[in-house]
Amino acid sequence: MTTEPTPIPLRTAFQAELEQLRLQVELMGVRVDQNLELMREALQSGDEHLMDQAFKSDDEIDAMHVSLLERCYQLLNREAPVASDLRFVVSVVRILSEFERVGDLALRILKLTRQVADLATCGAPWDIALTMVDLAVEQYRTALRAWSAQDLGLASQLADQRPPAEAYHERLLAELRRLRGPDSAAMAMGVYIIGQAADRIADHAAIIGARLRYLITGEPAHLAAEVR
Amino acid sequence: MTESAGPPTMTERADTPLPQGLEVARRELAEHDHLPIVFEIGDLSAYYGDFRAVREVTLDVRQHEITALIGPSGCGKTTVLRCLNRMNDLIPGARTEGTLNYHGVPLYGSGIDPVEVRRRIGMVFQKPNPFPKSVYDNVAYGPRLFGIKKRAQLDEVVETSLHKAALWDEVKDRMKDSAMGLSGGQQQRLCIARAIATDPEVVLMDEPCSALDPIATARIEDLMQEIKEEFTIVIVTHNMQQAARVSDATAFFSTEVNPESDRRTGRLVEFDRTETIFSNPSDERTENYITGRFG
Repeated sequence: MTTEPTPIPLRTAFQAELEQLRLQVELMGVRVDQNLELMREALQSGDEHLMDQAFKSDDEIDAMHVSLLERCYQLLNREAPVASDLRFVVSVVRILSEFERVGDLALRILKLTRQVADLATCGAPWDIALTMVDLAVEQYRTALRAWSAQDLGLASQLADQRPPAEAYHERLLAELRRLRGPDSAAMAMGVYIIGQAADRIADHAAIIGARLRYLITGEPAHLAAEVR
Repeated sequence: MTESAGPPTMTERADTPLPQGLEVARRELAEHDHLPIVFEIGDLSAYYGDFRAVREVTLDVRQHEITALIGPSGCGKTTVLRCLNRMNDLIPGARTEGTLNYHGVPLYGSGIDPVEVRRRIGMVFQKPNPFPKSVYDNVAYGPRLFGIKKRAQLDEVVETSLHKAALWDEVKDRMKDSAMGLSGGQQQRLCIARAIATDPEVVLMDEPCSALDPIATARIEDLMQEIKEEFTIVIVTHNMQQAARVSDATAFFSTEVNPESDRRTGRLVEFDRTETIFSNPSDERTENYITGRFG
């Protein structure tokens, strides 16, 4: 009767670094989420201070992005990770970039804060745009929860489901075409920017889900699904 | 994936339709399935006396591929390598059980000449071991043993072998000098030239770079890629990155302990395409080993 020898844990410092990296990525994701919340508040209140606060915060998010990217490059260079460790580091590089883009899209919406009072008068298109924003933020939070728990179920849900905001895109365009009056073009443009940015945020959340699913499973088909 | 007849094809691994570019890549990856099998190894166990050093190894070595055997010390990878050209015959009490076919012929069958086996299946060892002879005589040693006597013919074999081993330019003016005066890397390439001078089909390499510096190692690795068009290579290495860099297929071996005798027996854990082993191995033990998480 033979038994397998008890494995001895090795490279514990490296494993700790990977875990710390996972938490730092989560932290960056939370910072982006805070900006998304500022964005939602600004869309309700038109408060320009919220915009200023979000812009400052985004500078810090960008700095975190650069710092974490550098750490990934150092790990690749120093530790030559393979298999799930390699998938983890390259996935972090990808997911950091997705978080950063979501942050930029939030700023794109926040830049319209001064026009919120006017845009809100357009009625149905404004309501649709706000719904799209809510759905996109919810989608992003699902992605963040999936990353935090490394949850394959949530990741697959994000990767496979059609982003819910997508269904509102055509309705938004139809409503915008109905706008009339001297300010309708400017108003349509502003509301469309909000809807489109929300749509993109949801897309980035889906990409995070697809990347996380590939990170967990390592299946080439899941990588292919991400690049489609 | 443990102990299957061979690695799964990419087609078996994922049925989901892929984008066109990836479909092409997958077809290319599946091409190895059609390469002829050089060694068919089935349920192979190797013994030294009553001690079973390695058990139940099942894998195929395919033509013009580099197959890497990796795993911790004592896992039996060198034992398996030495079975492939019956080098273990030289150890009293050594024997094998199971299937070990070379082009469908049992390598340990009656009537098989071990000398002819070693001519067809050459070996390069861990430490460069040139004979204390001239560069020329080292390479000409095997061909002379197998009956080539004419000087012109020997000259041609020596030069061709040294070219293939990427050593000719460095030694062409030192053919009569002692091989012991060459650098470690040059000595190892000389040993490769000596191994291929008998026109083998397979070259077995037992940690061929472990005694070499990084530059000499890189040259040997480049050389392996060049000569695999002509030869089939099986390499034992402790260097994970080397296995990932040079090989097409990788077999991961691990050990089991007999608690009564405290003796370790090697066994094959996983055999697959190298890109799969180093990106998404099927067995957790492989993952733990290649990532260095557990030892």
